[in-house]
Amino acid sequence: MLQVSDVETAYGKIKALKGVSLSAAKGRITCLLGPNGAGKTTLMYTIAGILRPLRGSIRLDGQEIAGLTSAAIVSRGLALVPENRLVFPQMSVKENLEAGAYRRKDAAGIAEDIARMYARFPRLQERREQLAGTLSGGEQQMLAVARALMSRPRILLMDEPSLGLAPMIVEEVFSIIKSLNRDGVTIFLVEQNAHMALGVAHHFYLMEQGRVTFSGEPGKLAEDEVIQRAYLGTRRASA
Amino acid sequence: MIDIIQNTVDGVMIGSSYALLALGFTLIFGTMRRLNLAYGPTIMAGAYLGTYAFLALDIGVLPVALLVVAGAAVAGLYVERLCFRPFGEGAAIASMISSFAVWMQIEEAASLALPHHLNAFPRLVSGQPITVGPFFFRLDHLAMLAVAAAAAALVHVVLHRTRFGLGVRTLIDHRRAAELVGVPVTHTLTLAFLLACAIGGLAGFLIAASEAQITPMFGMWATTKGLIAMMIGGLGSVPGAIMGGLALGVIEAQAQWLFGPQVRDLIAWGVLFAVLALWPGGLLGGRQVAEQQAVQRRV
Repeated sequence: MLQVSDVETAYGKIKALKGVSLSAAKGRITCLLGPNGAGKTTLMYTIAGILRPLRGSIRLDGQEIAGLTSAAIVSRGLALVPENRLVFPQMSVKENLEAGAYRRKDAAGIAEDIARMYARFPRLQERREQLAGTLSGGEQQMLAVARALMSRPRILLMDEPSLGLAPMIVEEVFSIIKSLNRDGVTIFLVEQNAHMALGVAHHFYLMEQGRVTFSGEPGKLAEDEVIQRAYLGTRRASA
Repeated sequence: MIDIIQNTVDGVMIGSSYALLALGFTLIFGTMRRLNLAYGPTIMAGAYLGTYAFLALDIGVLPVALLVVAGAAVAGLYVERLCFRPFGEGAAIASMISSFAVWMQIEEAASLALPHHLNAFPRLVSGQPITVGPFFFRLDHLAMLAVAAAAAALVHVVLHRTRFGLGVRTLIDHRRAAELVGVPVTHTLTLAFLLACAIGGLAGFLIAASEAQITPMFGMWATTKGLIAMMIGGLGSVPGAIMGGLALGVIEAQAQWLFGPQVRDLIAWGVLFAVLALWPGGLLGGRQVAEQQAVQRRV
């Protein structure tokens, strides 16, 4: 469904992605693990069209999306739940959901989907008139997911959805990820929490210093080693 | 007491045009997080176009109004292309300084086009003030209030009932998140800039029509009034801009009555200083500053 090949992205002269290739299969949960600074968030922003790759190709269902604006990419059915959630803090929960449907023009469908989001996330219904900035971290994460779903994406990208959340809330977030996937949403997930991520992923990648260094199914690599490499990176013999 | 009420009424009426000035200012600042110093001169350019046509062709007051608004929008587009579009996200200082340069440029161009310092401007309405009991209402000020209120209501509808408005509100709130939900950022920013300059142009028309004259200094005057009103209300806040404009009008009217016209502007600046010292984000921005801090703590 999503195919990233040989993508390079740089901040000025510093290359954060040094030729990344990976793919996310339709209907599956694909997970990307790696230590801080590996380039995971850069990759997410590059796929979503916020950052422009220097070279390489990004295909969504075979169509090239590298170089398109984020607006065009959302229209093609890809939505990103960003790191730190980035809800609209001064807007109400309801307005956040409406903003999520910005690219859509079917008013009736949008209202229907808002009702569906409330059914899936009852906390959001309770707080629909409240400003999103006053929600708890967990509630903001639910809102960020619901807002992304409002664009009716075929593939959902999630960047560190468990970041800064209490363990109980993290469990909840992952059960939402699983249930979304059961409903047919393809998911591409970046996570720090390797244990939780390996619990839901069908396939996973390890990324270190701007490169993909491992690809396989959970179980292919001992969890200890995944955790070691996901948090600390591969120990290198020479500096 | 009667005087104080009369001053308040006068202040609200004059303040309604300050509110429009601040509304335009805050739309630019809110969406771009940048100060457009050429905002007032843009309005002055529109007003000069209007008065030029008035003097040369002797057209009526309504075509003049249209010309002022359109002229301000076109001048605004010029400022946007020159000072804002070329700089990416973050180059706020470059935009501000280049907008200062364009300010000087527009002021010089206006002086060349109409060499007289003082130029006649058509009145919107004329006639005896209406008296109600001990109070009297100037007709042009009543018209100013009515037009400004209608314009503010229209802006409210655009912001809350259209897709463009939704895009503007998301950009005011969080630019990166706006990009993520698919708001076409460049396009929306340009349109918001145009809308802001058109609103400013309308305010400029109302003020110039009430004074029946225009000078090249009008640009600086509009920038300062808009800036003070916006900052009293809260940077980037739409309801704040309206409140700030009305508050500034009332404060000025009271100050002029108490201390005379020379002290009026001094008091306005003093009030701005006091507001910023007590509520750093402005009257309505303050709550937003506190909320944003709460959000940051949570993240």
